[in-house]
Amino acid sequence: MRLHEFEAANVFEAMGIPVPRRGIAGTVEEALLVAGEIGYPVMLKSQVLVGGRGLAGGVKAAYNEEELKEIAEALLGSEIKGLAVQNLLVTEKVDISKELYVGITIDGYSGKPVIVASTEGGVSIEKTAHTAPEKIASFHVDPLFGFYPYQARTLLRKLGLGQNLLIAWADVISRLYHTFCEYEALIVEINPLVVLPNGRLLAVDAVLEVDNSALSRIKHPLPDWLGRIENPLERKGREIGVTYVDLDGDIGLISSGAGLGMASMDIIGEKMRPANFLETGGGITEDLLHKCMELVMMKSDLRAIFINIYGGINPIHEGAKGVARYIKEHGVKIPIVAKALGNHQEETWEIFRSAGVHVVTEAATEKAVERLFELVGGSK
Amino acid sequence: MSILMDESTRVIVQGITGRIGSIQTHWMLVYGTKVVGGVTPGKGGSTVEGVPVFDSVEGAVKETGANASVFFVPAAFVLDAFLETVDAGIKLIVVVPEHIPIHDVMKMRAYAIEKGIRALGPTTPGILVPGKGKIGIMPASLFAQGRVGIISRSGTLSYEFAGILSESRVGQSTVVGMGADHVVLTNLADILRLFEEDGATDAVIIVGEVGGEQEERAARFIHEKMTKPVAAYIAGRYSPQGKQMGHAGAIVRGSAGTVGAKQEAFREAGVEVLASPIHLAEWARKHNLK
Repeated sequence: MRLHEFEAANVFEAMGIPVPRRGIAGTVEEALLVAGEIGYPVMLKSQVLVGGRGLAGGVKAAYNEEELKEIAEALLGSEIKGLAVQNLLVTEKVDISKELYVGITIDGYSGKPVIVASTEGGVSIEKTAHTAPEKIASFHVDPLFGFYPYQARTLLRKLGLGQNLLIAWADVISRLYHTFCEYEALIVEINPLVVLPNGRLLAVDAVLEVDNSALSRIKHPLPDWLGRIENPLERKGREIGVTYVDLDGDIGLISSGAGLGMASMDIIGEKMRPANFLETGGGITEDLLHKCMELVMMKSDLRAIFINIYGGINPIHEGAKGVARYIKEHGVKIPIVAKALGNHQEETWEIFRSAGVHVVTEAATEKAVERLFELVGGSK
Repeated sequence: MSILMDESTRVIVQGITGRIGSIQTHWMLVYGTKVVGGVTPGKGGSTVEGVPVFDSVEGAVKETGANASVFFVPAAFVLDAFLETVDAGIKLIVVVPEHIPIHDVMKMRAYAIEKGIRALGPTTPGILVPGKGKIGIMPASLFAQGRVGIISRSGTLSYEFAGILSESRVGQSTVVGMGADHVVLTNLADILRLFEEDGATDAVIIVGEVGGEQEERAARFIHEKMTKPVAAYIAGRYSPQGKQMGHAGAIVRGSAGTVGAKQEAFREAGVEVLASPIHLAEWARKHNLK
């Protein structure tokens, strides 16, 4: 779960990282109030969970009340990359003598946290990696040893900094790593970390994404994850315990694994268009597949449904009962094709067939999708 | 021979008294796997499917001579159980559960490497050696004995690929689920190395998916070290940018980790890239695989 900038800034502040004076505003009046307290000029920053807000026009400076009104009115309620701006973060606009970068993420291949620092802040770190790799220093943390302040200082010495900046920056990195661990983060990032004219540091942006698998054990208060999912169907999927991704086609999909679901989408996508991605993971029960049918059928213009499931960890014969019950209750008119193999496959086929589902018994998903294609009349 | 396990491997099941643990113990025994014990702290002294249950991994190893373990432990307890299992001297650990916090997985991986043991997962269906045994949840009906190795990031797709081969009368030497998380306990290239050295494997199929850089790194290994034919399929061509597609590792950020980038890396390494699973049968015929 990615936190909004204002939420992440609150976390950073609580962890002892210096952040600007600021306030959150959902209306123009609130923005005026916050700016009045902080003093002009201020920055107005759209709170949307998407990268590149600045370039998309979502971050602006206001030097007086009139400007602020005009900008806040334009930003609030507008859309940035398809996401509605509901809140503005109003912050002090500071004088910048230098912009730095620091981020901590997880290197999936080595399986270690990697700390990246650069004297080139305010631009994307990927870009700096291409244009000026000598201005980047990185360090892989041994997960069993942890990370210590001396390692932050060693890292920063590679960038050839003055002593005062090095000490202040190393302190920010240590606190950021502590935040990374406390919040079980996938990424924490400050870009830019601003050097003020008086030499002090200020985290002018704040990125924090926490691991959804760890939400229940993080000891600090966090926003409600489900409430954060904007698409109602995707939220409903989370509520019943499956991964649902809304797409714009008309073939419904239920699969019992992520890889299988993605492959099914790819194969359907050759000749038709999937309405959704849905994968159950290892939790299939009669009730779960009944709920999956409800969820997939919430889209009214479906032409067919494809069920692609394997009985490895999943009791697919139980799942089939849930599908059959849904069909009976709702008199589903569109064709349903099911490929179900593995433990209890014969029993599963029997339940599906009795409910009027078209059963395909070959392993290749292409065969089942061909059948689907015939049943919907073979047109795009 | 085979990789990772054979008919002499002695397996304990951790979380054996749970619903999934006991059902999967049944299926492993039916397939002929030597399941010699189970562990659930506090339930020692009972039996499940005729298998003795112990309170600790150390106790189970002492009594049964186990050298491998499979986990059906709730995600929140996996790290603790994993460290206990490594300390008890088990050399192969299969971590089936999904949704394990990644900060735990990083510690597990580092500890496994430090102690020199082999581990698979998280979010893996495990290992199956056709006709000899299985550690994990793979449904036996789809597999047949033969000489093709399969490595898959996805569980269900490993079944699909084995099933397509078996229907074409091409069997498998060993089928390995490497796990679907962003950090896994053994990387793809390390499993490829085992297949390259395995006398019972003539060719290898990689079933990959969007996200991460496992496939790109594996391509480098194949180019430098592999002599056996390799084919690869990558799922997720139509996955929307930035969306988590069920697996923790299956997410595209920017241009890294896309299906196109992975296919390109494989092609450059001389790997046959399969546009769709069904092309597998042709590939097997072309190389006269059995």
